Amino acid sequence: MNALLEQFLSESRDFLQGIGEKLMQLEDEPDNTEFMVELFRFVHTLKGNSGLFDFPEMTRVLHASEDLMDSVRNGRVNYSQTLADQLLEAMDFVSVLIDEIEGTGELSNQYTNTSAALAKALRALIIDTNLGSDSEAVAILLESSGALEESVEFNVSELELPEATAMQSYRDLKIGNSVIWLMYTPDPECFFKGEDPFFLVRQIPEVIWSSITTSNNAPLAEMDAYDCKLTFQVITSADISELHELFRYVPEEVRFEIITQANDLISPMGEHNNEPVYDDFIEQAQTLLAKNNTEGLRQLTSTMLELSSPALWCSSALRWLLLILELDETNGALHSALLESLHTFSLTIPIIESVVSDEKLLAENDTVHVETVTNAKIDEPTESNSVHLSKEEQARVNAIIHSQKEILNLPNTNNAWLVGRLKAVALTLKGCCQALHKNEALENLDEALNDALAQSSSEPLLVWLETYSKDFESLVEETVETAEITTPAQITNDEVIQETQKPIALKATESEANTEKLDASPEIKFNRRSEDASAAASKTLKVDQEKIDRLMNLIGEMVVAKNALPYLANRAETVFGVRELSREIKAQYAVINRVAEEMQDTIMQVRMMPVSFIFQRFPRMVRDISRKLGKEVHLVLEGETTEADKNIIEALADPLIHIVRNSLDHGLESPEVRAAAGKPAEGKLLIRASQESDRVLIEIIDDGKGIDPDVIKNKAYEKGLIDETTLERISDQDAVNLVFAAGFSTADVISDLSGRGVGMDVVRSAVEKVNGTVGIESQTGKGTRLFLSLPLSMAVTNVMIIESNKQIFGVPMDMVVETVRVPFNQIRNIKQKQTTVLRGRIVPLLSLNDLLAQNVEQVANEDKEFATLIVRVHGENVGILVDDFRETVDIILKPMVGILGGLSGYSGAALLGDGSVLMVLNPRELI
Amino acid sequence: MAKLIFLVDDSETMLMSLKHSLEFEGFVVETALDGVLALARLEQGLNPDLIITDMSMPNMNGIELIKNIRAMTKFRFKPILAFTTTTQKHLREESKKVGATGWLVKPVPGKELVAIINQLLQHKN
Amino acid sequence: MGIEYKKALAIFSENVSVEDAEGLLDWLVKNPKGKINLAACTHIHAANLQVLMVVKPTIAAESKDENLQKWLNWALAN
Repeated sequence: MNALLEQFLSESRDFLQGIGEKLMQLEDEPDNTEFMVELFRFVHTLKGNSGLFDFPEMTRVLHASEDLMDSVRNGRVNYSQTLADQLLEAMDFVSVLIDEIEGTGELSNQYTNTSAALAKALRALIIDTNLGSDSEAVAILLESSGALEESVEFNVSELELPEATAMQSYRDLKIGNSVIWLMYTPDPECFFKGEDPFFLVRQIPEVIWSSITTSNNAPLAEMDAYDCKLTFQVITSADISELHELFRYVPEEVRFEIITQANDLISPMGEHNNEPVYDDFIEQAQTLLAKNNTEGLRQLTSTMLELSSPALWCSSALRWLLLILELDETNGALHSALLESLHTFSLTIPIIESVVSDEKLLAENDTVHVETVTNAKIDEPTESNSVHLSKEEQARVNAIIHSQKEILNLPNTNNAWLVGRLKAVALTLKGCCQALHKNEALENLDEALNDALAQSSSEPLLVWLETYSKDFESLVEETVETAEITTPAQITNDEVIQETQKPIALKATESEANTEKLDASPEIKFNRRSEDASAAASKTLKVDQEKIDRLMNLIGEMVVAKNALPYLANRAETVFGVRELSREIKAQYAVINRVAEEMQDTIMQVRMMPVSFIFQRFPRMVRDISRKLGKEVHLVLEGETTEADKNIIEALADPLIHIVRNSLDHGLESPEVRAAAGKPAEGKLLIRASQESDRVLIEIIDDGKGIDPDVIKNKAYEKGLIDETTLERISDQDAVNLVFAAGFSTADVISDLSGRGVGMDVVRSAVEKVNGTVGIESQTGKGTRLFLSLPLSMAVTNVMIIESNKQIFGVPMDMVVETVRVPFNQIRNIKQKQTTVLRGRIVPLLSLNDLLAQNVEQVANEDKEFATLIVRVHGENVGILVDDFRETVDIILKPMVGILGGLSGYSGAALLGDGSVLMVLNPRELI
Repeated sequence: MAKLIFLVDDSETMLMSLKHSLEFEGFVVETALDGVLALARLEQGLNPDLIITDMSMPNMNGIELIKNIRAMTKFRFKPILAFTTTTQKHLREESKKVGATGWLVKPVPGKELVAIINQLLQHKN
Repeated sequence: MGIEYKKALAIFSENVSVEDAEGLLDWLVKNPKGKINLAACTHIHAANLQVLMVVKPTIAAESKDENLQKWLNWALAN
């Protein structure tokens, strides 16, 4: 698995956790905007990250979640229980996906349907999504109509383009290129936004002409070099979508005009003169024109041009005539008009109907597709969902579709035109598809376009239109009629839409501004604290657990090696007789010992984790379970910052979850039962962690029905766990403790929650495995308190070394109550079992050799006393007879693995300072 | 000289992914996990040629970060790109207002990202 | 990179950045007869362009970068 994916998975888990937490917190405080903003951020970031990979099932659900959260955040949708449930379900699903990815490195396709269903359910909660996309679609249409309006006002001839520029533009237009005039007036502050308008302008492709001006005319001394007062005008034959792409960050600073009327560019210029020579020429030329002798006309014009001074207006007109003869050969009226202009020095361009209407359609096309395409490029494709259009919008869509049909049906006279025409139509249709979420149609559109281009025919696109026109027409029926609506009428329609849309748009920006304000306010204080924060952050380090474990092992070895020094000192004195050296070694040992202990301590600290690591699962768990059981539970968590070793915390998770489940299942009653018992309907469950010297105490307290000792007693008797005598004499507390006995389960009904074959005995053994203890207190009718006591750390164990049958063993000190020497004559045999009386209490005695199945008598000392280790096992004192006691040592206990792992009588082994191995006994299992 | 790009995003996954593609293109990349940390790095003397920041981050969001960066004299002309998503259209305008050079929409295809960066840094080719 | 100021000549080389504009303006104000050598220049930030357009100093040498020179011609035409 690559590192990025690993990072993604681990971070995603954090985010999922965070999302769960925030949802829980929101449950209590649904109006807390801070939580909401955080929650949104989590979902948002998670979705963003998932987009880096190819996990469409995950992204789809997260995308829907993000949209939903966005609506909630903006106050368009109210936060509700259902919403939280739906989101939690979605996050659970994502969690499952993450597990699968982690396991196999990829996603199987079995999730597609679930993903789609979840996304749909989430989107269903976004009541006004449609309104959102609606207004977007309208905005697109509005923008395009705006552009249309502007182009009506715009007049190329006013630009007074140089002749060469005008001619080049004319040529481009005539061979099917689009020609665009743009005016870019950068924001005066733009230099302070990292912009370089000149660089931007230089990126424009296919530039025909430009004019750069500045309105900066302050006296030089007062001029501000960084106040941008530049204006750029450019004429280019580049594709409009390219230009939009280039200026995408400054759309409001650029004005684009698509020059559609090639004839508008025709504007001869130069000195006026009145030489009669032109009269003859005009007469001859008109005759040739009348005979359709274009070639003759061309030659005549060329000759005339050679005779004229190039600077004259008439020469300019002749140059234009030559160009038009080349590019618009059949337009006799235009040729004639140019010839006439030689008399008057003013040109009236005749309007030829068919051409104009054709161009109008194209113009409309262009302006519309421009907006939609650029929008689509910047944004991700939106999920498919139905779009409802108002009547006006439908009419508009139909008008567009109808126009495309008309364009496609135009006679194909010029191939150079056809390509541009087909592309323009395809782009328009693409824009429509995207705006209306017609994804299927969209997919086939590209194919149709390619076919059309390959065949140089409109046919494939017409076929496509036939196939999918139903999709568009289903929105409204009267296609043909609406197509008849003329442009002015459409503009009026748009104005109406614009009017109705305005207040909504305003509201939206207002509410957005508000959320931004909320965003911003708490952050101001961080300005001042930025330095502290950076210092704090630089101190935090994420380290692989493996590295810590390795460090842990090394320090363990260090402790062992350190422990060898006293042996060495001893040998120096006893074997080599150098007392001085022995003392020095001991002094050094003291230093090394101190450092090693500190090191050990520090590494322990590193391994410490807060119990919140486990606690954070509870809000969600309690919520889900209590809802399933129809109970009302108020969960209180206390002492979440209490820390313990990572291994302890991890070992604690399962038992704790089981206990909480039990409390919910068996402890707390349903609201009706509680009400009947005079308790508040809502039960209380308190989970509290605290530190008591070197142990962590965890309590799980509920105010439920408690445990009835009689029920337990009878049950234990039924199951054969206790005999009749015990049944009679057992105390209530002892009876309650029976729930920890192996094979005991109080569940009357095997519910979905407990009754999974795991009883409290499993909890007990799990806790004991990490040297913890578990206890229970209960008051019938009032509640139950379960408590777990665990060591803070299990890295170092203090053991007492004992000797038995010429071997040494370790016994964990936390089990040893005391050590006594029992005189031989005080050992009594009761029912073939050895016992003694210790401070008035009978203590059973067991021989270690017997426990280890060694057929050897224990050795007593010279005074005939047996060394006896009193250990506490399951709340009872037991004496273990050994041969002798030795010192206590700190060891790093290594659990036994492999075949030896099955020897439950040992809790592990450790290395001693002299290099020998110490087996550490587990008296609980031994006895 | 290789150009230095400073990425600010609260997601380590996102940082890792962008860093990888940018380093592949020959840029030097530095990262920070939120606005406060980013600002601290800049105050400590980091001098990137381009800053790309996420918008929604804990501690200090992108808008505030851009405002703060623009207030520092040595960064007044620096190109800054705002990282937005489809749901944050309003932030594009807002980021421009406070001084961002432009914005990107997550997830950005690597090619597009590099093209935009090259344009902003006026890189050859 | 940047502008090198001689006695009465500012030599532009490669990319002249936005930071250079303030210095250029100052220099031109102090040296009204200062000339500009653009021969080795490939791009000037718009801020510098604006300074040149407003102050209109004599261009001692045009840029060898044809594309830049084409745009400068448009900008400095008037």
